[in-house]
Amino acid sequence: MADSTIRVAAATRRFGGLVAVDELSFEVGRGEIFGLLGPNGAGKTTTINLLTGLLRRDGGEVSVLGHDPQREAHEVRRRIGYVPQETNVYLDLNAMDNLWHHAALYCRDLHGVDARIESLLRLMSLWERRKDPVRTFSGGMKRRLVLARALLHDPEIILFDEPTLGVDVQARHVIWDHIRARREEDKTFVVSTNDMAEADALCDRLVIIDRGRAIALDTPEQLKANLGRDIVTLRTTPAIDEPELLFTGLGVQAVSRPGPDQLRLEVRNAASIVGEMVARMGSGRRIESVHIARPTLDDVFLHHTGRGLRE
Amino acid sequence: MRRFLLLLRNEFALFRTAIPAHAVAALQPAVLYLLMTTILVHPTFDMNMARPETVLGAELAAALEQVGSPVGEPYVRLAMVDWDGGTVDRQVIRVEALDGGSLARPVAVQHFGLIDSNLVKNFRNRLTTAALRLWDAELGPRSVTVEQHPWLPHDVPYNVYFGMAVLPMATFLAAAIIGAMLTAQEFEFRTVVEYRLAPATLGLILGGRLVRLALTALLSAGVVWLAVGLVTGVWPRDPWLVVLILLPVAVVAGCVGMTAALLLRRTIPAFLVGLVGAFAGWIVGGAFGLPSSFGATFERVSRLTPFAHAIELLFPRYFGDRSSASAVTIGSPVISALVLLLMAAGMVALTAMVYQRRVRRQE
Repeated sequence: MADSTIRVAAATRRFGGLVAVDELSFEVGRGEIFGLLGPNGAGKTTTINLLTGLLRRDGGEVSVLGHDPQREAHEVRRRIGYVPQETNVYLDLNAMDNLWHHAALYCRDLHGVDARIESLLRLMSLWERRKDPVRTFSGGMKRRLVLARALLHDPEIILFDEPTLGVDVQARHVIWDHIRARREEDKTFVVSTNDMAEADALCDRLVIIDRGRAIALDTPEQLKANLGRDIVTLRTTPAIDEPELLFTGLGVQAVSRPGPDQLRLEVRNAASIVGEMVARMGSGRRIESVHIARPTLDDVFLHHTGRGLRE
Repeated sequence: MRRFLLLLRNEFALFRTAIPAHAVAALQPAVLYLLMTTILVHPTFDMNMARPETVLGAELAAALEQVGSPVGEPYVRLAMVDWDGGTVDRQVIRVEALDGGSLARPVAVQHFGLIDSNLVKNFRNRLTTAALRLWDAELGPRSVTVEQHPWLPHDVPYNVYFGMAVLPMATFLAAAIIGAMLTAQEFEFRTVVEYRLAPATLGLILGGRLVRLALTALLSAGVVWLAVGLVTGVWPRDPWLVVLILLPVAVVAGCVGMTAALLLRRTIPAFLVGLVGAFAGWIVGGAFGLPSSFGATFERVSRLTPFAHAIELLFPRYFGDRSSASAVTIGSPVISALVLLLMAAGMVALTAMVYQRRVRRQE
């Protein structure tokens, strides 16, 4: 990648006998929203901590804006913003005080900070509540405040760990919109999430991580397209006992049972065979529902690991 | 400088996250002082004597009146009462006939009620000294003269000494418990991540917090200073010197509180370390009297605390310089000042090391 801001090459980190990050490699381009997608415990937060320099690596190379975060932590930290999983703000202080606190610790030049604070609070729709204790904010408002704080010292890269964890659907979209808008300002985002909808909607590219290893890396669309199949979900009464036998010759590539009366089939082209499927189920079985879908990132994860993201 | 002032402003804004600790720091030492002054220091005890009916009894009463502290306010005051031999309130002296005989050989009998041994001792000393005076009067040239040479030309009222001794305690308590609370909260609120990643230097971060703690601690001591002055009318000489004496105590205490919080990472245990440290150190360090008045071993232990040195440096500010040799000595002020500075510098170095390991180190 020509204009990469982050390069991770075979990075490894162990905690005792546990390999949290296992020879992970990826690159992130300038102005990109890059996702780290994986279930809890996959190694996403550890990866982010390797990028910040909070954690030392046991092997491999990491470069952030041309600097090694382990050896040149000061240079890296000056140019990155970090939003941790927990909303770590001073709840008894107001939004302004929280941002001023950050400015004293992070901003290289304090001239114009007051204007920047106002601009960011307005941008995040928090200006009207700037003097209220943060304790009175909703989850989404707190998250927006943390994002404003991470942007205050004008970092080139923002590492965002679980951006919308614990916030409602409406607030999620507002936060996504803010991230996309900052991307237009040439900011680079690395977003860790276990939410496939978030990864799908937000990320330009993503790496799917499982047990510390990268199992797939591409744009969300390409990852799904690479599966080359559709998902047919059937609900029948009674349930189909031997689907492989029943649907022989229809190109069924994988079968699983999400529920007792549900059947999930991966097929090459659902539209061309669904009529035949219905016909084979015959009159002795009531068809409750037939659902045809394009694959999701969960399907991609399932395809590579044999289990769902939420399992 | 602007960054440091901004950091300092933010440190003071964090007051809102630890209001109870600030309330305890500001009020508790002054309340303790006022209570102790009322309960332990204020009373002047009446030494009751049954109204004498003989000349010898009257002479004993007159002698009792003359015995007392060479300087200062009386601690025990003679009071004539009509006593019928009933219940005794603390103590009463009555001149009685020996074995029920005639009053030609009278005996001064002390009847005691329910009192503590210290007061028994004081009442008995007063009586025996008065009897000695009567006896001396008849011995002529063989009489024994007892001279009293007080160390200071004036009394050391206990409410002034105690108030003076509360000053370093108030300073220590405020810096230690607030330092502990603010630092432990960073772990509980996870705001410590802000400090872990901050490009700001360790010196700036620690300096901001320590200066804030020191200023708060001095304000807390100021409340006690005011209380002592208003109650006793005694104000220290060279107030700025008092501030300079208390400053290293505040730094040591702030470091104790912060280090406890960095190691424990929880608010209540860290708060308790500050609280217990303040009171235990203060009691050992001269809360109730100059360390040297309690023996060499106690004094040696006392001098391991900043309190002993601070109290000895404060003493002349309240009571004037030593005027004569005394059994109760005060350490060299230069050494005490040096020890306080070394303690402060050592604690700052230790806190910086612990902070680096617990917050800033790459794991």
